[in-house]
Amino acid sequence: MAVKLGMVIDAASCIDCKGCQAACKVANQVPDGHWRNWIKRGDEEKAALDRQGLRFQPGNCMQCDKPTCVAACPTGATYKEAKDGVVRIDRELCIGCGQCLAACPYQARYRHPQLRVADKCDFCAERRAAGLQPACVDTCPTKARVFGDLNDPDSPAGRLLRGKASVQVVNQQSNTDPNLYYLGDPGPADWPVQAKMPTPWQFWKSLGGPALEALVGLTGLGVIAMYGRQLILGDHDQPPEHASGHPEGGDHDQHA
Amino acid sequence: MASKQFMVSRRGFLKLGVGAAATATAGGLLKARPAGAQGGLKPGFESKFTVCDMCFNKCSAIARVGDGVVRKLDPNPKFLKSRGMLCAKGNAGLHQLYDPNRLKYPLLRVGERGQGQFRRISWSEALDLAAAKMGAIAKEYTRCGMLFMAGADMQSTFVHRFAEAFGSYNVISHESNCLLSNNRAFLDTFGEVPIPDVLNSKYILMAGANRFESLVTPDSIDLMTTLREHGCKLVVLDPRYTKTAALANEYHAIRPGTDLALMLALMHVLINEGLYDKQFVAEKTYGLEQLRTHVQSYSPEWAAGQTDIPAEAIRRMARELAAAAPAAMVYPGRRSSDYANSTQIRRGFAMVNALLGNWDRPGGLTAARVVGLKGGIPLEAPFYEDNPPERVDSGQARLMFEEEGSFKLTRDAALKGEPYPIKGFFAYHVNPMQTGANRRKTIAMLNQMDFVMVMDVAMTDTAWMADLVLPSQTYLERLDPASAQQGSSACACVVQRDPVAPAMFEAQPVFFVVQELAKRLELGEHFDFTVEEFRAAQLADLPDAPQALAEDGVYYNPSRLYGVYEGKIYKTKSHKIELFNQRYAEAGLDPMPVYTAPAQPPAGQFRLVVGRNALITQSSSTSNALLLQMQPDNDLWIHPDSAARLGVKAGQRVAVTSPAGQQVLTARVTHETRPDTVYMHTGFGVMSRELAAYGRGGCIAAVLVDAVDEISGNMAMHETFVQVAAA
Repeated sequence: MAVKLGMVIDAASCIDCKGCQAACKVANQVPDGHWRNWIKRGDEEKAALDRQGLRFQPGNCMQCDKPTCVAACPTGATYKEAKDGVVRIDRELCIGCGQCLAACPYQARYRHPQLRVADKCDFCAERRAAGLQPACVDTCPTKARVFGDLNDPDSPAGRLLRGKASVQVVNQQSNTDPNLYYLGDPGPADWPVQAKMPTPWQFWKSLGGPALEALVGLTGLGVIAMYGRQLILGDHDQPPEHASGHPEGGDHDQHA
Repeated sequence: MASKQFMVSRRGFLKLGVGAAATATAGGLLKARPAGAQGGLKPGFESKFTVCDMCFNKCSAIARVGDGVVRKLDPNPKFLKSRGMLCAKGNAGLHQLYDPNRLKYPLLRVGERGQGQFRRISWSEALDLAAAKMGAIAKEYTRCGMLFMAGADMQSTFVHRFAEAFGSYNVISHESNCLLSNNRAFLDTFGEVPIPDVLNSKYILMAGANRFESLVTPDSIDLMTTLREHGCKLVVLDPRYTKTAALANEYHAIRPGTDLALMLALMHVLINEGLYDKQFVAEKTYGLEQLRTHVQSYSPEWAAGQTDIPAEAIRRMARELAAAAPAAMVYPGRRSSDYANSTQIRRGFAMVNALLGNWDRPGGLTAARVVGLKGGIPLEAPFYEDNPPERVDSGQARLMFEEEGSFKLTRDAALKGEPYPIKGFFAYHVNPMQTGANRRKTIAMLNQMDFVMVMDVAMTDTAWMADLVLPSQTYLERLDPASAQQGSSACACVVQRDPVAPAMFEAQPVFFVVQELAKRLELGEHFDFTVEEFRAAQLADLPDAPQALAEDGVYYNPSRLYGVYEGKIYKTKSHKIELFNQRYAEAGLDPMPVYTAPAQPPAGQFRLVVGRNALITQSSSTSNALLLQMQPDNDLWIHPDSAARLGVKAGQRVAVTSPAGQQVLTARVTHETRPDTVYMHTGFGVMSRELAAYGRGGCIAAVLVDAVDEISGNMAMHETFVQVAAA
């Protein structure tokens, strides 16, 4: 069976220390104010009132089997790696149009302000190439994040999936079949949004199919069209808040 | 804040987009886009061991270095004490190394003290000046007129050595603003300061500690492991709903300052219900009968009225603790600079553990393990006969640690000029302007000095007040002595620090400074060695250590963990674990802790408590470019009922006022604190305009009053009552 890289996460082990977020920022040189990964948390005010405890939920791009971001990409820059299932972005092909940002139900993507391309977690491709674990997994104090080949029952992640109840966190309208699994109760589960697919491109793509995609990718034609589209549509093209990645880095933003 | 930044970058993006599109059409498709900005780890990077210095834990880490630049800091998977992790602060370490605001050159003050006007001078000028000033102080006020203060750093030992050679007894560490009363209490019960075996514990009662936010290795990690995998029960008592409270099995918002009432009530139940470890207590402890009488009035019903914890819950806790003992503990905690009777409060913690026999066995408190690291190159300090007989803070606290001193009592003595004047100050890697309660007094102390010299990585608030500021190398640039570490069931080990990146600017290690000062003050013979030679002397009894350190970044001593005290006497007066402390009785102190209800805040006021989260190491981390993105400031936690009474809304600016001073910060209206208690994180509200955190949040030291623990001389910060009003 093909390799399918994924993550199995024990949310109950997460202490919300932000080690994974800091490690990711450094490893991937994620620009200020943007994040490739996150720790979601439940309603802390309610938890403090009820004394029922609070769960912290680490996450990042879910490297979905049915990735809406790939479908939304007009140039083929966003693609699913055949050898391991990781959803990657080819920065040479990405035109920074932002369609994939809206198409991701998990708000896992942001637009890199300097490089002007979409960016997101790729399970630390560079580190993996060097034989290292993804930075968030490597650094996690409580090893709440476990990484590996989900198709290999003997990989660290595969072992955890075997025989233990696990869930995916999805939006019912946009079930992308993610490859992030949570053991037991994942904590907050109602946050994924419905994927916002770029209708004009869906229409054009339905006419042209892969041929059009290839054309757009290989020539500059579509690129100019896309920049024009950005200028015309301006902010409407942007998912409002989440385009900045996940601002809930520290405690502060949560409380403000 | 993040969304604001985004607005800017989005506009920038669109502008850039136009330009890039033009480039793309002119230059041929998209190749004009910068490609080099991606990726830290290029093939061929080197991996070098280092030891983190972002807090006191000293975790072994691996620096990934490419082209002489540290690209990433990773955990050392072979380092058992951290359980192979590196926290957010550890990951942010390279932002300390490459901080554009770090101190680069020696700086001499040119304006008024505290105005932040300095000029760059050469190292030789700086060292000549410092030696001359210190010599003049020694001549006029005796050598004890110089006060030395060094933080928890692997080179602080050289500052202590210098002070001793120079001839001043007045050396203080950061610890009297932190944990000394806790150490005092456990030392005066068990004869040593124990290390908790969290991993193997089945029941942990945690009061006055926040282990899932204020990370201590291996305790923080082991706590989660034992909760998840060993079925341990965690009970947290805290006036604040911390992340530790949120992840506990049981949580009580205890009234602040009443922990001792709870401990006495637990002992009441354990003794009266016969739940204590009778054999252990009979064989190994002293004073059960006195304690039995002592705790009779401290019933759970009585304690419930003090603590706001139901009597039934207290009784159940005692029974549950006893059922799990000896694999159980009242967690000893770390920072105890809270109340004026904090030693006696922590004695209560220690005594519950003693009654249950949670000692020297799996899952309880363990004795320090043998590491085998020696003290380095011995010093034969000169004798100066004109010196006064004692430290300047001597005789103020009843049982102060002479080798640690008391920041609070030293500062008071310096301000009075009694018993003798303190006119010079050398601070290294420590920032009492931020960590010492009552900042006004610290400023006054520094202002009455003839000479203030501060060495640090950044322009801290204490450096901001200095006459001479010296740039320190960061831990990633330094060769440091070896350090022994205690990790209970994780390990007893040695780490050492080698440089992983070339030193930047004119930064130097403090060893260079004290060596050069020693030469100029005719003390050169006491520093006639290299750091390598010092380290070799430390490792003299551990022949296998150098190879292990080179290969694994850590040397383990497989020394005994449990049963260390089998057949041995305890280092106390009775040679047993002291429930009744005879030395206290002789000194006129309560030999068993007597409960006095804490004063309650006057009407309309609140008790201020302080703490931190996993992103904060007091002021040393809050200007870090990466950590600042996650923790951009601190705010005042206030309960919704209290806020409503004051007409304060969430996000509103509020003035927090105590007899020590006032700070203005943003209100965070939350059920996560009690109605009678407000809370602030440490490390913000800085005075130094050279720090990225300048203009953010409020400073704890500017509002905390400086009460003191009468036994240890430890600062007592939570004795502060504040008024809160819309600003």
